[in-house]
Amino acid sequence: MQYELRHQVIPAKRQTYQNVIDRLGDQPVSRYLEGTLDVQPREHFHYRPTWMPNRELYDERFSALRLTDSYRFTDPRQYYYTTYVAARAGLHDDFGKTLSYLEERALLARLPAGWQALLSSIVVPLRHYESGAQLVSVAGARFAYGTSLEQCCSFAAFDRIGNAQMLSRVGIALGGGTRDELETAKRAWVDGAHLQPLRRLVEEIMVLDDWAESLLAIDLVDSLVYPLVYRGLDEHALLGGAVAYSLVAQHFSAWFADQRKWIDALVATWATDPEHATANRAALGHVLATWAGRAYSAVAALAAAVDNHLPMAETSAALAATAESRRSPWASLIGGAAS
Amino acid sequence: MSTESPSAAPRKKLPLKERYALLTRDLDWEPSYVDREQLYPFTRYEGIKIHDWDGWQDPFRLTVDAYSKYQAEKDKRLYAVVDGFAQGQGHLTLSDASYLNSIKLFIQGVTPLEYAAHRHFAFLARHLEGPAPRFAALCQSIDELRHTQTQIHTISNYNKYYSGFHSWSKMHDRVWYLAIPKSFFDDAMSAGPFEFLISISFSFEYLLTNLLFVPFMSGASFNGDTPTMSFGFSAQSDESRHMTLGLEAIKFLLEQDEDNVPIIQDWVDKWFWRAYRVSALVAAMMDYMLPKPVMSWKEAFELYFEDQMLGGLFPDLDFYGIRPPRHVDDAIAEKEHLSHQVYKIFHNFSSVAAFTTKTPDDAHLDWLSEQYPDTFDTHHRPTWEKHQRVEAGGRRMFFQGLPQQCQVCQLPISFTEKDDPGKLSFRRSEFRGETFHTCSDGCKWIFDREPEKYVQAWLPVHQILKGDCGGPTIPDVLAWYGIQTGDNGEYTGSPDEQFWRAWHDPSLKHGE
Amino acid sequence: MNAALRPVSIDLQESEENRALIEAIEADNPEVTTRHLPGLIKLQAPGQIVINRESLEERLGHEWETGEFQLAIVSYTGNVSEWDDDQIIVKWEH
Repeated sequence: MQYELRHQVIPAKRQTYQNVIDRLGDQPVSRYLEGTLDVQPREHFHYRPTWMPNRELYDERFSALRLTDSYRFTDPRQYYYTTYVAARAGLHDDFGKTLSYLEERALLARLPAGWQALLSSIVVPLRHYESGAQLVSVAGARFAYGTSLEQCCSFAAFDRIGNAQMLSRVGIALGGGTRDELETAKRAWVDGAHLQPLRRLVEEIMVLDDWAESLLAIDLVDSLVYPLVYRGLDEHALLGGAVAYSLVAQHFSAWFADQRKWIDALVATWATDPEHATANRAALGHVLATWAGRAYSAVAALAAAVDNHLPMAETSAALAATAESRRSPWASLIGGAAS
Repeated sequence: MSTESPSAAPRKKLPLKERYALLTRDLDWEPSYVDREQLYPFTRYEGIKIHDWDGWQDPFRLTVDAYSKYQAEKDKRLYAVVDGFAQGQGHLTLSDASYLNSIKLFIQGVTPLEYAAHRHFAFLARHLEGPAPRFAALCQSIDELRHTQTQIHTISNYNKYYSGFHSWSKMHDRVWYLAIPKSFFDDAMSAGPFEFLISISFSFEYLLTNLLFVPFMSGASFNGDTPTMSFGFSAQSDESRHMTLGLEAIKFLLEQDEDNVPIIQDWVDKWFWRAYRVSALVAAMMDYMLPKPVMSWKEAFELYFEDQMLGGLFPDLDFYGIRPPRHVDDAIAEKEHLSHQVYKIFHNFSSVAAFTTKTPDDAHLDWLSEQYPDTFDTHHRPTWEKHQRVEAGGRRMFFQGLPQQCQVCQLPISFTEKDDPGKLSFRRSEFRGETFHTCSDGCKWIFDREPEKYVQAWLPVHQILKGDCGGPTIPDVLAWYGIQTGDNGEYTGSPDEQFWRAWHDPSLKHGE
Repeated sequence: MNAALRPVSIDLQESEENRALIEAIEADNPEVTTRHLPGLIKLQAPGQIVINRESLEERLGHEWETGEFQLAIVSYTGNVSEWDDDQIIVKWEH
């Protein structure tokens, strides 16, 4: 039986916080907006950082990329803490189920030799790549100007270590519940010829001063690695009796699709900023000019290694066929400044 | 292609500790294409010596998947309470609308510190050289965002019906009394990574955490503020991790090299005092701003600091050569007076604050006499009785000038000498030909160690006098602060009080 | 006072989910005292408090991972001395 509850309604004095009213009018807004808009302090910092005395505690100058109003950028996913952890709990729950399924049936050990070698020598070592990407992302969590931006970087940092931990768990499963494959993976990362261009690239990106440049440089690598290694090999895995690979890879492809949403939106916001668009486009072009070629070379070395194990997948050819303009999803957003 | 089943060996399972290490510190590698110093440029300048980052212990071993699962569950439970309270118009069941002044102080003064912690633990997550503490710092950074946002969301409902909540972030940047917590955390953020670990992870999140948070959360429980109380419970389990990080941080640094001990001791001394001065706001809140009080400041200080810390923690640290904080005796001596002195400031200056105050009534004064049997009636009760008489005559006294602030803690200079509660405690230091004023031996010691830092401070009173705060008159300054009608002044007769009285008026006709 | 005598404590949410946990702690730590506060249980003991997974699983009737303790704990005084697959120990070290 349905019934309607009567309330004694007390008129609200205001529907939300004043800063939100000033931006959007006096109306109820989402928890994302209440928890994000204007949260970061703006002025009257008491002391300059002893670790960088020519900057303030929050400072736009930590990057060449600027926004007139940070809050013109908002996360398309609308992630604030609660919705973020809920989303990732789901992702990790799915991954855990996949892994249990694979472990119970020893499906990783039953993979064809080429696929096992791919995992062992190329994919599991990417746990260290993810770890480097985490270091880069967390710089944005501290140094980005505005809560809307830094929040995305914070979640991205947590995501990267989440990815690294997923890959590590795959490695443990591949090694029959031991650390053996992780030791192999680390040796490959540190010494393996096919991974040195990538490791070198990641180390050079990690020491950059500009948090946005380093984040975008990693994104250029992600934009080649993820389609190549995860989504790109999916068909071949299914056709080649390596379903286990496809089951693992799907989680990484799903994550990458999620990551794209905010990075592409942020680049678009930089590229169209009322005051800084021109300077931003130049800076974005500079990022492409500096790092796109390096990213390509590093991933090409990986692709060659994939070819060794899985010649039928023709990974190097697939990489080469990636049109120049599609080597970064955001290159087209910056128009004439693209290299 | 192998299609044979592998041999039927039972699947091994790695022990928790090992598995956790493989999923965290083992991800790290020694860079060879760049210098270590390029990658971690900030870990040497404080003089701290680390020989083996691998010596860091991880007592709380939460991987990302477990973290996400547990935290999502905790938030589901918390927001269910917040939503239920809002749906049921639970704010009407608070002990009294005046209780909310404590929560205004909380969102204006504390929530921004949660956010600052979120940002600066990310600094540690980038700049500490050890992967294990970096990951612990990353988890704490994310936790602090949780606290920031759950507080904003919990308090959002109060913001709809009551004054003083609406502009917390802008006010934290501008309003005079909020420079006390803001400068505290700016001090920590501007310090190096190791000092930040000791200042926040150890001093704030371990040494003084109960003293800072239990009064607010218990105050919520006693005064019908279910959502804030639920937030408190929910955040506390995160705080257990943070406390552990703090204790591990100090032990790790002490164990790495004997030369670290005097540096750490100095930081313990500084940050105990700096955080203790911020806690003066909590002292005033718990003795004066809770219609249903939990305990006195004196009792809380004795339990949470003297017993648990001086009696429990410092004997543990004695092993490393760390002694209790310099100036701790001054804090102990002050416990009779601190809350009264600070609330008198609030009471005198709430005309220019974003909360209201009122003179305690006789029942409240009697409670204070019971809590402070040796000192209240002699030193503080007469002031309140004077205010009662003034108000009975239809007036309300607010101080018409501006207070002098301590250069370090930025509290108005209003504390008294340890051995003479009638004498104002006032200290001076010279630096580059100028004179600077502090409120106590503790703050003077802090100033004299790093004068080049403390002279940078944006002191609100000086800034008002310079004309940088909206204009030359008090209304100009209040407008610049973002203060709206009803936010400031005397509680009795305020919009919040009128609304409350109307809602709860027993003389209204049935159904009115 | 040496480490073996100084009190350590654990604060837990008083909830249906934690009933078995509290019983297991009380059973395994004979010197523990229990205080009830609104929504909260304070367990205090001289020197140390031990939480044994097996002991809790007996009372729960199903598997329990020590990591789940994260959901129950509100606060603690002392040092988390050990946390592995089977046991959690809170005590003072020195």
